[in-house]
Amino acid sequence: MLAILRSEIFKFRKANIWALIFVGPVIAIFAGLVDSGELPVNSWVYTVLMMNLVYAVLFLPLITGVFASIVCRYEHQAGGWKQLLALPVTKGRVFLAKYLLLVSLVFLMQLLYLGAIYLVGNMQGFAEPFPLEIIWKSVLGGWIATFPLIALQLWLAIWFKSFAAPFAVNVIFTIPTILALNSEKLAPFYPWAQPYLMMNIGGKVDAMFFVPWDQLLIVVGGSFILFFLGGYFLFNRKAF
Amino acid sequence: MKYVVETKNLTKSFGKEQAVQSLDMKIAKGEIYGFLGPNGAGKTTTIRMLLGLMKPTSGSIQVFQQDLKKSRISILSKVGSLVENPSYYPHLTARENLEAWRKILGAPKSRITDVLAIVRLSDVANKKVKGFSLGMKQRLGIAAALLNNPELLILDEPTNGLDPSGIIEIRELIKQLPQSHGMTVLISSHLLSEIDQLATTVGVLTKGKLIFQDSIEAMRKLAKQNISLRVSDQDEAHRLLLAKGIQTDYQKDRLILSEFTDEEIANAIQFLVQKQIAIYRVEEEKRSLEDIFLQMTREDQVG
Amino acid sequence: MIRKLIQVEFLKSKRKGFWLLVFLGGFGVVALQMVNYGVRKEYLLQQSDNDWIYYLMNISNFTPLALVLGIAILTSFMTSIENETNAWKQLIALPVSKLTVYLAKFTVLAFMLLVASLLLTLFTYGYGVFLDLGAIPYGALLKYSFYPFFASLPILALQLWIATVSNNQAIPITTGVIGVLPSFSAQNLPDWLIWKWPSLMNSWNEPIYYVWLGLGVGCLLYFVGMFDFARRDVK
Repeated sequence: MLAILRSEIFKFRKANIWALIFVGPVIAIFAGLVDSGELPVNSWVYTVLMMNLVYAVLFLPLITGVFASIVCRYEHQAGGWKQLLALPVTKGRVFLAKYLLLVSLVFLMQLLYLGAIYLVGNMQGFAEPFPLEIIWKSVLGGWIATFPLIALQLWLAIWFKSFAAPFAVNVIFTIPTILALNSEKLAPFYPWAQPYLMMNIGGKVDAMFFVPWDQLLIVVGGSFILFFLGGYFLFNRKAF
Repeated sequence: MKYVVETKNLTKSFGKEQAVQSLDMKIAKGEIYGFLGPNGAGKTTTIRMLLGLMKPTSGSIQVFQQDLKKSRISILSKVGSLVENPSYYPHLTARENLEAWRKILGAPKSRITDVLAIVRLSDVANKKVKGFSLGMKQRLGIAAALLNNPELLILDEPTNGLDPSGIIEIRELIKQLPQSHGMTVLISSHLLSEIDQLATTVGVLTKGKLIFQDSIEAMRKLAKQNISLRVSDQDEAHRLLLAKGIQTDYQKDRLILSEFTDEEIANAIQFLVQKQIAIYRVEEEKRSLEDIFLQMTREDQVG
Repeated sequence: MIRKLIQVEFLKSKRKGFWLLVFLGGFGVVALQMVNYGVRKEYLLQQSDNDWIYYLMNISNFTPLALVLGIAILTSFMTSIENETNAWKQLIALPVSKLTVYLAKFTVLAFMLLVASLLLTLFTYGYGVFLDLGAIPYGALLKYSFYPFFASLPILALQLWIATVSNNQAIPITTGVIGVLPSFSAQNLPDWLIWKWPSLMNSWNEPIYYVWLGLGVGCLLYFVGMFDFARRDVK
C-alpha cells in the first residue's frame, strides 16, 4: 500500500504541475489585498471572509477536480491503466492510494491558504494577534468538506479518458453553489456548498466546526460514503 | 536528374542536440526509397520536416522541384503520408475518419470505399476506431495516406504492429504502386530485411547523418566476399603469403583473404601448393546486408 | 477551404457531447432561476418594481460563470480531439494552412457559444412568460443574452491558444478556473481584466463598451494565438 502511494507521489511530482497547489493561495492573497478599504469588525475576520469568498465558493471545489484528473492522467495516456494494474497490486489499493494522494494535496493547499491569510494580515499590519485557533478550524473544516467532492472527481476522472469531461460535471455541480448559499434552507444540504460553509468563520466559536455536527455527518459524511464507495466499486468492476 | 524529393544541407537541432545533420537526400521519380536507420537516428524528424510539420533549423527542401517553404499546400495535395504511429479519431468510425480527411483533400467520395478495400477494412468500415487492433489502425493510416492518390507516398514504419500476413500484403501493395500508379514511395524502417525486399534505393541514417545513399544493388555489392582457407600449416602459410606480399587475416583456425579477384585467389593457392602446404578447405564467406548495416552504423559510433 | 475545414470540425465533434454541453449551458442558467423562483417566488417578486428586469438580473448573475467555464470546457474538448491521439500531424500534413485549421476551430467554438446564447434567450423568454412578469423588455432580454457572448470573445481566443499549445490539459482547465473568479466577484476589480467583461459591469455603466472591447481584444488575442500556433513545430 505504502509502495503504491509512494509511486503515486513520485508520478505526481514528475508531472511538473504540483505547483498548481500554489495557485489558490496566491489568488487569495490578491483577494485579501484588493479589499483593504474600510475595515469593519475585526480586521482579521473581515479579511478572511473576503478571501474565503474567492477561494472557497468556486475555486476549491473546482480545483479538486483538476487534481483528480491529473493523478489519472498517466494511466489514461498510452494504456497506463493496464500497465499499472498488471503489477502485483489490487485495484482497491490503487484507488485508495490515489484518493489519499489527493486528500494530502488539498491539505497542503489548505495549509498554504492559512499561510496566505497570515501573510495578508502582516502586510496590512493588523493590530490584533493572528486568531490561529479560528482560522485553523476554518482551514481544517474546508479540507474535510472536500472529501466527498474528491471521491466523486476521482471516480469520474477514472471513468472518462478526457480531461474536460469530469471537469464539466464538476462545473455543473459547483455553479449552483452560489444559489444554494443564498438560501438558508438549501445550503446545509448541498455538498458542494460545504467547503465554503465549513470555512465560513463567524459561527459558534466554541463548537468544533462552523457547521453543526449533524450537518457534517449527514451531508459531508453521507455524500462521502456514497461517492467513495461508488467510485471504489465501479473501479473494481471496470475492465481496462 | 530531376528529383521528386531533394534536400540540401537539411539540419534540425533541438537545443544543443542535432537530430538531423546536413542531410542531402535525393529521391528520383518512380523509386521506392528505403530510409533505413536504427531507432532514434532521426528518420521521423526528417519525415516531419518533409511534410512541413517541423521547420528545419537550416537547409532547404524541394519536393516536386518546388520549395516546401513556399508551396507547402500545393505540394501536400500530391503527398500521402503516415507518420510514426497512426493518428485517428477514436470516437469516429473508420469511414468517418477517412471522410474527415477526404473533405479536406477534395477526393471523390467513392475513393473511401476503394482505399478501405485496398487495406481490407471494408468489413469494419462502420465500426468505431476505438476498438481497433494496432494492426487495423495501421491499415487505416495507410488507407488515409492513399486517399488522394498521391504522387509521393511517405510511410514511416508502415508495418509496425502488423501480423506476418499483413506485412506481406502491405509489402506487395507498396511494391506495385510505382508501376501501377506512377507513385514515388519513401518508406522508413529500422529493419534491413524489410527495405531489402522493397526498396530500389537506400538511404542509411545514423545519428542524424546520411552515411549511405545509393541503389540497393550498390549496397549489395558492399556485401564483399571473403575467402577463408584451412591449411595443414597455418603459420607457415601466413608467413609465406606475407613474404609474397599477400596480406591475410590470421584467425584461430583459418586464414581470411578479403577483396581478392578470382585470379589472385587462384595464384595464392597455387603458390601454397607449390610450397608443399596441403589445402583442406577453400570457402566463400558472404557478408549479409545485415552485417553491412550493422558495420556501417557501428563505424559511425566509433567515429 | 475554410468551409470544408469547418465541416470537418463539425464531423469530428460528433458523439463528443458538445451539443449536450451547449444545451446545458443555455438551459442550466435558466434552470437555476427555475429553482430560485420555484422556491421563493413571492419573496423575489417583492424585491423590485420591475419584475422582468429583476429576473434578467438574476439570470445574468450566472451567465458569466457558465460562459467562462463553458469556454474552458469546450476549447479543451475541441483541442483534445487532436491532442489525445496526436492527430495534429495527420491533419497538418494535409494540404491545409495551419492558420485555416486554427480559424476553423475558433469559428466552430464561437458558433457553439452563439447557439448557447440563443438558447439562453429562448429559455429566459419562455420561463419569463411562464412566470407572468408583465410587459416583456425585448431589448434588455437580447442585451443580457448576447452582450456577454461578445464580451467573452477575448477569453475564448486566450483559452483556445492555451489549450492548443498545452500538452497537459490541466493548464487550460486551471486558467478557466482562475478566470471564473473575477466574473463572480466583479465589482471591485479593474475594468481592463478581460474575465470581468462578461459580467457587463464597468465603471462607465455602459455594457455596450464591452461588446466593442470584446470584439477588438478578441481579434487581437485570436491573431496572437493563431500565429503562435503556426510558428510551432507539430508534435
